[in-house]
Amino acid sequence: MRVIRAAIDEMYTVIGQMVGSVFRHGLPLTDKIAARTALTNFVLHIHPVRVRRSWIRMSYTLCLGGLSFFLFIVLTVTGLYLMFYYVPSTNHAYQDMRDLQFVVTFGGLIRNMHRWAAHAMVITVWLHMARVFLTGAYKKPREFNWGVGTLLLLITLLLSFTGYLLPWDQLSIWAVTVGTNMAKYAPIAGPYTRYLLIGGRVVGDNALLRFYVLHVVGLPLVGFLLMVVHFWRVRKDGFSGGL
Amino acid sequence: MAADFRRLIQDSREMTRRSFLAMAGWLGFTAASLIALYQSVRMLYPNATYEDPPAFKADAPGAYAVGSTTVIIDKRVVINHDPNGFYAISLICTHLGCTPRYFQDVTSDLVLAGSSISKDPDTGQQATKADPALPGFKCPCHGSRYFRDAVNFFGPAPRPMDRVHIEVARDGRLFIDRSVIVDRTFRLKV
Repeated sequence: MRVIRAAIDEMYTVIGQMVGSVFRHGLPLTDKIAARTALTNFVLHIHPVRVRRSWIRMSYTLCLGGLSFFLFIVLTVTGLYLMFYYVPSTNHAYQDMRDLQFVVTFGGLIRNMHRWAAHAMVITVWLHMARVFLTGAYKKPREFNWGVGTLLLLITLLLSFTGYLLPWDQLSIWAVTVGTNMAKYAPIAGPYTRYLLIGGRVVGDNALLRFYVLHVVGLPLVGFLLMVVHFWRVRKDGFSGGL
Repeated sequence: MAADFRRLIQDSREMTRRSFLAMAGWLGFTAASLIALYQSVRMLYPNATYEDPPAFKADAPGAYAVGSTTVIIDKRVVINHDPNGFYAISLICTHLGCTPRYFQDVTSDLVLAGSSISKDPDTGQQATKADPALPGFKCPCHGSRYFRDAVNFFGPAPRPMDRVHIEVARDGRLFIDRSVIVDRTFRLKV
């Protein structure tokens, strides 16, 4: 009997240790515990320990940066689902896209979410940039983050451009033909750039695979890293609102 | 939340407008999340696969000599033509699904190593020291072995390979449907 009770006590200790290793600070009942939780927690560390009401006035930021990030998450998740059915080859791409629209249950929903979120993200990123410009939030000490932001705008546009080829219909093939021919007009580097970009002289299998890899891995990865820096700088430089 | 529900059930007037709206909001959020969960799982169940259809046509029966074993490796099917008729084997190992290969001799190495090989219950054949070589199938994955008629005799395979339906199509060729599993005594007489 005593042995069993000791075993149960031991079990409670182990469970307590396991729970305690995840929830290390207990309930945030006092300001001190709340602050320590926010400081030491990975998920919460991006959040300031204290936020002034004036910093988060919605009429100032219009939530445009947050909306852009939200749309990026929507695009990542829906894009992942599309990847389960899409094969980036000229023999399969168009048929797979049609199957997503008409055969796969909820495939049309996911594809349209991806499409509209992509359009919306281009819009919100532009508007976010316009807001930062119009409120003068790019000025010292935030010049660096303005630079990171312009790169993020570029990544957004490149994601939009590379994704445009993937349905492999007439619109996307000729849009990318036109787009990469524009790159060809750059002095000296132009023709090399186009050859590198589409892996050949015409928009074919190589171009589709290259754009696919850039669209689902390369550009999102660079974008994610830049976002990490972007958000970190927002925290370190402080919010511009209410200054 | 729970207290709000209790209050709502007892008397809705005891509840503030604010907590009612908060509760409705959380309910809506939960419902939307559950629907999204269902959708995201359901989407991954394909409605159409582009796999090879289970039924196909082989050559006309005259192309298969009596006593022959023909492996159609692309379809993972074997056509055996015995004196009492045709039968088709689904060439899928009953252990874990690899494709066994056909060999003229799958028994003599075992017999010479001293292990006794059981008699094929269907044909009554048995490999002995005097006559050790019998044709059959060997699975490359975990070494299961089958007699020529798909009856397992060695290795981890738990049962004989499945026999599948075979008939003569209207154009005179053999028609095999891999989705229809038939009895071990099934024979097609032509």
